[in-house]
Amino acid sequence: MNILIPHSWLLEHLEAEIEPKKLQEYLSLCGPSVEQIYDKAGEPVYDIEVTTNRADAMSVRGIAREVAAILPQFGVAAQLKPLATPKILPPTQELALPAITENDALNKRTLCVVLSNVRRVPTPDWMAQRLTAIDMNVHDAVIAITNYVTHELGHPCHAFDYDKLVASGNQIIICEAGAGESFTTLDGNSFTTVGGEVVFKDGAGQIIDLPSIKGTLNASINARTKRILLLAESINPEKVRFTSMTHAIRTTAAQLMEKNADPALASDVLRLGVKLYQAICGAEVASAVYDHFSRPNRLSSVTLTSKELLRYLGVAIPLNSAKEMLERLECAVEIAHDTLVVTPPSFRPDLSIPADIVEEVARLYGYHNLPSTLMATPIPTNRPLDTNFTLEEIVQEFLATVGWQEVYTYSLMSEAEAIASGFSLDTHLKLANPLTEDKVYLRRSLTPSLTAVVAANPMRQPLSVFEIANVYHPRANDLPEEVLTLGIVSSSAYRRVRGVLEALLSKLHIAQVEIETAAGSHEAKIFCGPQHELAGSITQNKANVAIVIRVRALVTHAQSHPVYRPQAKTAIIREDLTFTLPKQTAIGPLMAALQNLDQHITTLELSTVYNDNYTFTIHYHDAKHNLTSDQIAPLRKRLVAEVAQRWGGSLVGQLT
Amino acid sequence: MIGSQYSEKLLALKQRLQLETTLSAEELQQKYLGAHGVFTLLAKQITELTADERKLAGKPLNDLKMALATAILAAHKTTSGQGWVDLSLPGEPPQVGHVHPISQAMAEITQIFTSIGFTRVRYPEVDWDWYVFESLNMPPNHPARDEWETFFVDQAPDEKKGQMVLTTHTSNGQVREMERLGEPPIRMINIARCYRRQQDVTHTQMFHQFEGLVVDKGITIQHLKGTLDYFAKAFYGPGTKSRIRPFHFQFTEPSFEVDFSCHICGGSGISLTSIPQGIGTAQKCKFCKSGWHEVGGCGMVHPNVLQAGGIDPEIYTGFAFGWGIERTYTLKAGLAIDDIRLLYSGDLQFLEQF
Repeated sequence: MNILIPHSWLLEHLEAEIEPKKLQEYLSLCGPSVEQIYDKAGEPVYDIEVTTNRADAMSVRGIAREVAAILPQFGVAAQLKPLATPKILPPTQELALPAITENDALNKRTLCVVLSNVRRVPTPDWMAQRLTAIDMNVHDAVIAITNYVTHELGHPCHAFDYDKLVASGNQIIICEAGAGESFTTLDGNSFTTVGGEVVFKDGAGQIIDLPSIKGTLNASINARTKRILLLAESINPEKVRFTSMTHAIRTTAAQLMEKNADPALASDVLRLGVKLYQAICGAEVASAVYDHFSRPNRLSSVTLTSKELLRYLGVAIPLNSAKEMLERLECAVEIAHDTLVVTPPSFRPDLSIPADIVEEVARLYGYHNLPSTLMATPIPTNRPLDTNFTLEEIVQEFLATVGWQEVYTYSLMSEAEAIASGFSLDTHLKLANPLTEDKVYLRRSLTPSLTAVVAANPMRQPLSVFEIANVYHPRANDLPEEVLTLGIVSSSAYRRVRGVLEALLSKLHIAQVEIETAAGSHEAKIFCGPQHELAGSITQNKANVAIVIRVRALVTHAQSHPVYRPQAKTAIIREDLTFTLPKQTAIGPLMAALQNLDQHITTLELSTVYNDNYTFTIHYHDAKHNLTSDQIAPLRKRLVAEVAQRWGGSLVGQLT
Repeated sequence: MIGSQYSEKLLALKQRLQLETTLSAEELQQKYLGAHGVFTLLAKQITELTADERKLAGKPLNDLKMALATAILAAHKTTSGQGWVDLSLPGEPPQVGHVHPISQAMAEITQIFTSIGFTRVRYPEVDWDWYVFESLNMPPNHPARDEWETFFVDQAPDEKKGQMVLTTHTSNGQVREMERLGEPPIRMINIARCYRRQQDVTHTQMFHQFEGLVVDKGITIQHLKGTLDYFAKAFYGPGTKSRIRPFHFQFTEPSFEVDFSCHICGGSGISLTSIPQGIGTAQKCKFCKSGWHEVGGCGMVHPNVLQAGGIDPEIYTGFAFGWGIERTYTLKAGLAIDDIRLLYSGDLQFLEQF
């Protein structure tokens, strides 16, 4: 919540000599943050952020109280001026107050008075200027006064048309609305109740006010109004919030009351209101003052030891100094031995536990005055075992180094993308309140989002992108299974993409990687480790190759270092053999078969492919003896025979 | 031939070799060492000498051979160094990819905090209301929840833990980390995706936060300040300062807002623009508020939160902080990204810059 406060208005409550810039600095360090100072018609106006727990500071007087408490800490003399609201004198004529049916469970206080002979005059310039400076619309004085008083003291009040109330029986019943009742607010918008809203009704059951939120058209003042009922009530904060949120009627009054504005403030609000109506509109008090105050804020004392202060601050603050600071905030403070007994004022319900009092003392002492130091306590060593952030960084760096681009895409998908992911729509988790149609379902696959990125960058083809992110698989009566996934989509050729994947797995020292597929299938599965764990898959579609791989599988099977193999002491014989193979020969199984022919064939790699000719680079090796040409010749013959007999291929060239 | 004649021939040849400055290595090779080369022929003539003369001629013959080899080598080097090359040619770049800027920021943040003993963790992005709000001292319908524009998942609520929501902040990791460890010491850094129901040039429906949580005996506001200072200097540069100001969060008490000093204006709030005469003109710094950048919130862990995590607030205290990565990262010099949505656009023109 932000509040605008003109400097001159603040000084009506504050005795202090202070430059606006300095006030901004000091208040921001120890109290509500002054975000800006605007110049409005030559006057500095503070734009102050007030936190939600401090409804008491949402007024000119509340801020003045803060300033008066803070400035002395910086050596600037400051004093909160006494609030001089005159008592409301007995009426000259006696008009009947409405018959009010109270409901103490719903409302803490009702305070009202009837004013007659209210002249409809324009808002005086001094008041209009202030309301303009705080960005409020200026109506005529009868309306402006209620806004002015609310801003000055931080508790709302409302002016009813007294004659409208009389016409409907001069009765106010404070109750909860049922469902389906209609009302029209004073700005002409109509609503239907859902049930449970706190409303004022007349004797006939008509809603005549949305108390602590907004007036209704049927009881509010209009151009003909001459007599008003000035009323301040204090509906339960939860009820105000419920009604205000349900119907999206977010007024200043609602914001104050749902944050627990102090009902005790209503007395000064009514007095100041009457004073202004008398002075500006020539109004006369026409009834006794009605005050039903069933539940004043009675705040419990909070005790705080000097040890507790030390425990949070790390420096000792004398209890006497703490007492002085708290008293400037209007707390009643006693020191008993080593303990502060603090009774907060009724407008500070946020002070309820020792830590709250610590905060008040600490902020006035000044956080900037506390030393800054790192922890000297033992470093925890109990790390979660299922994550490995270093590995994730290695993956990112490796893929970027080989030319691939990391992207971040949204975890939420449109209906079309969810369907495209290969999981049926109803097996996705869906948002109950999406903001936009393209982000409704929690994704189960990264592939659609990454495919969209590749398609959206036509000038960068071929393009390979990757992302490490969660996918979300629903589980019955539980949170979804969040599976951290490395997703890759590339418009490069399959061999190139797979080559990078294999290099990555090798860099992570993952042993026993198997990539398996059925002949001609567009999908291959990736297995890792001794247990042949399914880690992910590779899919080839028309335009792209897509890979998904569970990061957890990488974490499980990755090693920080390889298993060292001593260097070969005997010669490795390397040679290339080229075979012509029938079309649609699956090369993977062929290579596996050739590799397994003999233990002396230690490596067999595909080096080039030209039309139907496939050149393999073969390493022959024996760890103990150097292989001779006579030993290799039969191996070579077996390779050629295997290719011919099992795969229908033929060697290019002749065996010697 | 007699020995003295042979020696003279050797000497003459040596002198002749010294005058050969224009021949290339190949030409020298051909002229002296070819099948009919002058040295080859002379070397063959040694057989015409007597045995004693041969002994005497052996050494000068060998010296001449060495001189020849040296000359050929030298000629070889000179020739290859003299050809025309164009070193003004542009380089042929390898294809280079890029780690996403958010990942780069995460890695840097992780490194900074792990170096002062924090453990990085990861917790659910879809979580129960209990962990996201209620255990953090925010009961249902509390006005403080307004600031977290929450996405709800269309699923039945859990009887005890409430509705299923997308995490609006990384603070759901606080009670989860307390549950994981059982007891202090805790020094956690939790970095994760978060979600809020908002979208404009400075907000995306998905964003990232990092959350720090420290709980132990004797943890004070001073340790929070020390940690913030350490991070500010490590992330933005050695001269950076941090400060905390009063604020309010339900899950910390006291609560603070954190500011880092502006590195553009050096924390003065005034940027000096020099003009040719050497006189500077002072202008309000466009990048900060009076010399400071607001980065996010922090505070001392509320006793109710410690209790929700099974930790006795009478024995332990702690602090926590949680900030947006996007905001923290783009405050770095030169990274004033005008539309935060670019980060998640997958636009290569943008991403290739990082």
